Amino acid sequence: MQNLVGKKKIDYQKLLAPAALVILYIFFAIFGKNFFSYEGLKQIFQSSYYIGFMAAGVTFVIITGGIDLSIGTVMMCSALIGGLAFSNWGWPVWLALFLVPLVGLFFGFVNGILVAKLKLPPFIATLGTMLVSQGFGSIVSGVRTMYYPTVGSPDQWFRSVFYIHNNLPVGMLWLFGAFFLAAFLLNKTRFGRYNFAIGSNEEAARLSGVKVDNWKIAIHAMCGLFAGLAGIFYGAAYTTITPGKGNGEELNAIAGVVIGGTSMSGGSGTMAGTLIGVLIMATLKKGLSSVGLQAHWQTFFTGFVVIGAVLLDNARNRAANRVRIEAPAAAAKS
Amino acid sequence: MKKVFALVLALMLVLGMTAVAEAPMYISVISKGEQHAFWQAVRKGCDDAAKEYGVEMYYYGPPSEADIQLQVEAVNGELMKQPAALALAALSTESVMAQLAECMEKGIPVIGFDSGVPNAPAGSIYATASTNNKNAAALAAEEFSKLEGFVDALKAGTPEKPVVIAVLSQDATSESVTGRTTGFVDKMSEIAGQYNTVAVEGHDLWAKPAEGAGVIIHTEIAATPEITDVTNAASAILNLDNLYAVFCSNEGAVNGFLAATSSGADLADGAPFGDLIVAGFDAGSPQKNAVRQGWFVGSVTQDPYRIGYLAVELAVKAAKGEEVADVDTGAQWYTAANIDEPNIALLVYD
Repeated sequence: MQNLVGKKKIDYQKLLAPAALVILYIFFAIFGKNFFSYEGLKQIFQSSYYIGFMAAGVTFVIITGGIDLSIGTVMMCSALIGGLAFSNWGWPVWLALFLVPLVGLFFGFVNGILVAKLKLPPFIATLGTMLVSQGFGSIVSGVRTMYYPTVGSPDQWFRSVFYIHNNLPVGMLWLFGAFFLAAFLLNKTRFGRYNFAIGSNEEAARLSGVKVDNWKIAIHAMCGLFAGLAGIFYGAAYTTITPGKGNGEELNAIAGVVIGGTSMSGGSGTMAGTLIGVLIMATLKKGLSSVGLQAHWQTFFTGFVVIGAVLLDNARNRAANRVRIEAPAAAAKS
Repeated sequence: MKKVFALVLALMLVLGMTAVAEAPMYISVISKGEQHAFWQAVRKGCDDAAKEYGVEMYYYGPPSEADIQLQVEAVNGELMKQPAALALAALSTESVMAQLAECMEKGIPVIGFDSGVPNAPAGSIYATASTNNKNAAALAAEEFSKLEGFVDALKAGTPEKPVVIAVLSQDATSESVTGRTTGFVDKMSEIAGQYNTVAVEGHDLWAKPAEGAGVIIHTEIAATPEITDVTNAASAILNLDNLYAVFCSNEGAVNGFLAATSSGADLADGAPFGDLIVAGFDAGSPQKNAVRQGWFVGSVTQDPYRIGYLAVELAVKAAKGEEVADVDTGAQWYTAANIDEPNIALLVYD
């Protein structure tokens, strides 16, 4: 009996994003000023924490075929309210940190209700919550800027725990941990399975008995929770939280998701891809700065990368949908 | 495959070594922005100083003064390149505390410029090149008092019909704007106090109520530095009874005020606010036009070119280990009469 089992084919397309990351890194390592150093590597990770958390959360939503534009302002609003808690309400810092993701969860839940129960298109619903959370943060804080503990403050453990300690980027551990958890949720739980189901064919999922509305609310709430968590890492890295800001950060997160290979039309995506996408953007930013290019070139090139990633994704989907004939029909008869 | 890898590695090492061997001194300049023409004048000063001293300079300014995150990442990125010195105009000192500590540790001199790095830890900032904002704004108050009829108007103010002098500011948090507001309020209070009872009303920071005041100094602070909010604050001022004079404490405030007065046309002789005495701060083409047309009696200008030039010069000197000290880069009063004189024209950017 002939052994008809073929050799296991390496899915080259899955390696595109990681390969792009490595090529970019090598390019800047050669041409960048001190880019190829511990400091350079450290900064790529350190500038990615808050974007990474937002990107992980919004990956869930994008896989359902939806979008969440509010993650940037929700992140800031959460961070602002957390800052208010320990600055003005006398809460200890560690307690205030629990409040931050809860604010995010709340806004995520609101998004879920708007999208699932009130049937608003996700773009419109989250655009609304984006503006609401932007204003809400300012209102609650009295338009006051909040400052998270930094070097020299009695609570400087905050920065040591979430950002950097003795020149070791501890935030990286949180980031990788969060992505591991998110990947587990996406690939090994009912939550993730239904997430893909809703994204691939919502009607089919509904007719199969999946309570689509409830799961959509849960998915949006999860996205909000991650956006809230991002607020903690933003505070740890940048200290100053200005009311009314955050608008625009969601696009950084979504760009990372898209570059990582998740399709905007829903039904497919990976957390690993999102992480790679976020790191590609960070490498680009840090690398372009290290070769002396002005900041506007960073956004310029990032845009090209996003477009390229989407084009590549479209080409891959078209190739996958083409019917391939493995062996001629005649051979099957004999 | 191994050979290719080894070759690439060797190439990188060689390139790295040559880069170190030939490189001129590298100075990083992180400012507060590029949006106002003011910062472009600062940048010209930086570029000229860099050329003069033969150093390589990298200039960065975030898109807006609220983009603290971008400025922090830029500082991080520059520190990675191991500059000989860093010139910094911090948007928020709290956000760069760790970076300042790192500079102190690594012996990288930090020079403050423009608003500098307020409340920085002791010893982290070697010197600051900036305008003394209080003195600069006080100049406007002094020039007001020199105007014909101004002092008489101050004397004539009564509690029933007080003379109201307003100050328009885009915020009450940035050191430069608050410094100018304070400088003008204090000087104007001092001058008017010689002739009448003075009360200061408006924002809590400067309020000083007084019984039976014939002169009222009113501070109006915009909700945010966005032009729409500044314009609203300007409109609030224009609605005040007995308004006599207005001082706009920066270019943003001037632009908001002009927007509230039909691009300044309402301030022309014969127009609704033609008798209003107005002065501004800094420059930019709308303000220069207002001064030229006589809608503004004059404005105070900083020396942004000198600020930028000194930022780099002090950075280079500090990097070489020389002693450096703070420099007040000064201010000038310009009017329709002297705006085109060469020494003023250099300072007032478009």
